[in-house]
Amino acid sequence: MNKIQPTILKGTRDFLPQEMMRRNVVMEIIRKTFEQFGYSPIETPIICPAETILGKYGEEGDRLTYSFKDRGGRLIALPYDLTVPFARFVAANYQDLPMPFKRYQIQRVWRAEKPQKGRLREFYQCDIDIIGSKSLICEVEIAKIIVSVFERLRIPNITIKVNSRRLMNAILQSFDIDQNDSLTVIRIIDKIAKIGKEAVISELRKMGIDNAEKIIATLTPEGTNKSTLEKISEYDIAELKEFLSYCTDLGVPEKNIQIDPTLARGLDYYTGLTFEVISEDADFGSICAGGRYDNLCGLFSDKDFSGVGVAFGFERIMLLLEQLKIAGNGKAPSQVLVTIFDENSVKDALQTYSKLIEANIATEIYIEPDKLSKQFKFADKKQIPFVLIQGPEEREKQEITIKRLQNGKQKTIPVNQLVSYLSNYYEAQ
Amino acid sequence: MKRNNIRIAIQKEGRLRNPSLEYLESLGLQFPKENGRTLVVPCKNADAEILYVRHSDVPQYVQNGAADFAIVGDNVLYEKDFKIREVEKLNFGKCSLVIAVPLDSSIQKIQDLEGERIATSYPNSLRKFLQKQKINAAIIEIRGSVEVAPALGLADAICDLTQTGNTLKENSLKTIETLFDSMAVFIESPFENIRKDEFINRFQL
Repeated sequence: MNKIQPTILKGTRDFLPQEMMRRNVVMEIIRKTFEQFGYSPIETPIICPAETILGKYGEEGDRLTYSFKDRGGRLIALPYDLTVPFARFVAANYQDLPMPFKRYQIQRVWRAEKPQKGRLREFYQCDIDIIGSKSLICEVEIAKIIVSVFERLRIPNITIKVNSRRLMNAILQSFDIDQNDSLTVIRIIDKIAKIGKEAVISELRKMGIDNAEKIIATLTPEGTNKSTLEKISEYDIAELKEFLSYCTDLGVPEKNIQIDPTLARGLDYYTGLTFEVISEDADFGSICAGGRYDNLCGLFSDKDFSGVGVAFGFERIMLLLEQLKIAGNGKAPSQVLVTIFDENSVKDALQTYSKLIEANIATEIYIEPDKLSKQFKFADKKQIPFVLIQGPEEREKQEITIKRLQNGKQKTIPVNQLVSYLSNYYEAQ
Repeated sequence: MKRNNIRIAIQKEGRLRNPSLEYLESLGLQFPKENGRTLVVPCKNADAEILYVRHSDVPQYVQNGAADFAIVGDNVLYEKDFKIREVEKLNFGKCSLVIAVPLDSSIQKIQDLEGERIATSYPNSLRKFLQKQKINAAIIEIRGSVEVAPALGLADAICDLTQTGNTLKENSLKTIETLFDSMAVFIESPFENIRKDEFINRFQL
C-alpha cells in the first residue's frame, strides 16, 4: 500500500518536546506578566467571516490574509493579527465587559508571506490591549509591561521606539503632503529600517515629493529624546512630553525609550502613539509593536472605543533567546523516575509513585519491569534528574535509593523521608 | 504612621539581650530595667523607646521603619537577605555559622556533602553557601535543637551557629567548614528622619 507522505505545509512546522518545553516556559513568563498587570485572557475563533478580517490592514495585509470558501460557500478568513478580531470581540461583547477593558490574548495568526527568519506563515502573537480609555496612562502602562516582559525574559538592550501618528500627520502636512497621499508616504517611510534613508528619499521623490530629503531630516531622531523633541518643537509635542513624564513616574527607564518620528507602522488603523520594540542583539525586525487606534471598533459597531495595545512576536522572541543562548534547556517535566526493580516490586513502586504525585513532585514511573540499565537510559534520554531504586534488600529495610543521574551519586534513605528529601533538595545553578 | 519617638529594637530574649542593653546604657541612654514582659520601654532622658522583639524579627522592624535603629546579629541580616545600613559593628555576640558532621561520618570535606541531608535553622545562608560551592543537597529545615538531627537519623550534617563549640562536642559533632563569622551590629532604618539625625548627633553614633 502506498503510504501518505508525512509532509506539512510550507511556513508551518512541528515542535518536538524539548523545544515545546522551552516555548512553554517563555509563554508562561509572558502570560504571568500580563496577568500581574490586571489583564484578562480571552480567545476568539480561528475561522472568521472574511469581511471581519479583510480591508483593515491595507492592500498588502489583504494580500497576505489566508482566505477560502467553506462548504457552504461562505468566504472565510484566518486572523492576520489579534487586534482586529479583538475589536470585533469588543463590539460584540462590550455590554458584558468591565470598561476600560484590559485583555491579553495568546493565539496563532496566519500570514501568507514568504517564510523568512523568525517569520513563519503560522505563528503565535501575544497581545495586550486596553480599550475604552483615551488616557495616556494606558500607553505608559503598555511601555512598563514591555520593559517588564523583556526584563523577566532576561533579554537585555531593548529599545521601545515611540512616535505619534498625529504628530507625523502634522509634520507631513506642514511639508505640503496631500492628506490623501499621507498614508502612502507613511508606508514608504515605514521601510526606512529595511531599505535605508536614501532609498526612502528616492521613492518619495518618485511620488513627486521634492522636499523628501528635508522631510526625512526633520523626522530623523537625534541622540537624545530631549534634542529630538527640541528639533520638532514647533509642532504639537505635548503628547510625547506627557508620555515621557509618566514613564519616569512609572519607572520605565528613559534608556529604553526612543522617540523616533520616522516610526510609521504601516498599518492603517493607528491614530495616536505607535510603538515598536527592537533588540540590539537581533538581526531581524521588531519583537513587539503596536499603538493607539481610535476607530477600529467603529467598523463593527456604532459604539466607538479608543484602544491601545501591542503584540509581542513570540517566534521572534524565541529566536532571539536562542541567539542569546538563554532559551533554557527544555528539560523533561519530570523530576523523578520511579524504576521497577522486578515483578515483585510493582506494588511498592506504584505506591511510591502515588505518594510523590500527591506531594506535588513531578514524577513518572517506568511503565514495565525491565533491566535497570534500560530504565536508567530512559531517564537519561528524558533528562530526568532523579531515579529511584528499591531492590529486595532495600525493601526489606524500608529504605530507598535515590540516584542522581547527572553525577551518579547515590543516597539511601528511609522511605518515610523520601518526599522531604526530594522537596527540600537544593540544586545549585 | 507618624511617631515622635525614636525606636530602638533589640532582642527580647537570648544571648544578645544583655550586652545590647549595656551598649545602649554606655551611649548614655537611661531606661528602667523592664521585667521581661513589657515590649516597649521609654527612655528617661531622651525621646526614645526600647522595643523588645524576637531576634529574627528585628530586621523586619527596621526595614519598614517601625524601628529607627536596632541591634542584631549580622547572621540574621544575612539569613533574611536584608540590605540594611550598618552604623557600627559592636564587639559582642560573636559566633560562627558552621557545617558540622558526626565524628565518625564519611563526610570529611564540603564536596562530600553532595546529595546528603543537611539540617539547619538557617536555610537561606546554607543555600547561598551551597550555591557558591556548586553543591546539591537536601536542606532539612528545623527550628531548634539542630545538633541532635544526625543522631536521630534525620540528617547527615548540620549547619548551625556555634559560639564555643561545646554543644557540638557534646553531640559528637565536628566542624568541617565555617560559612561566616558573625557579631552584633547597630543598624539604621532606610528612611530619612530629622529626629533620627538628631539622635545620632546627640549620642555620637
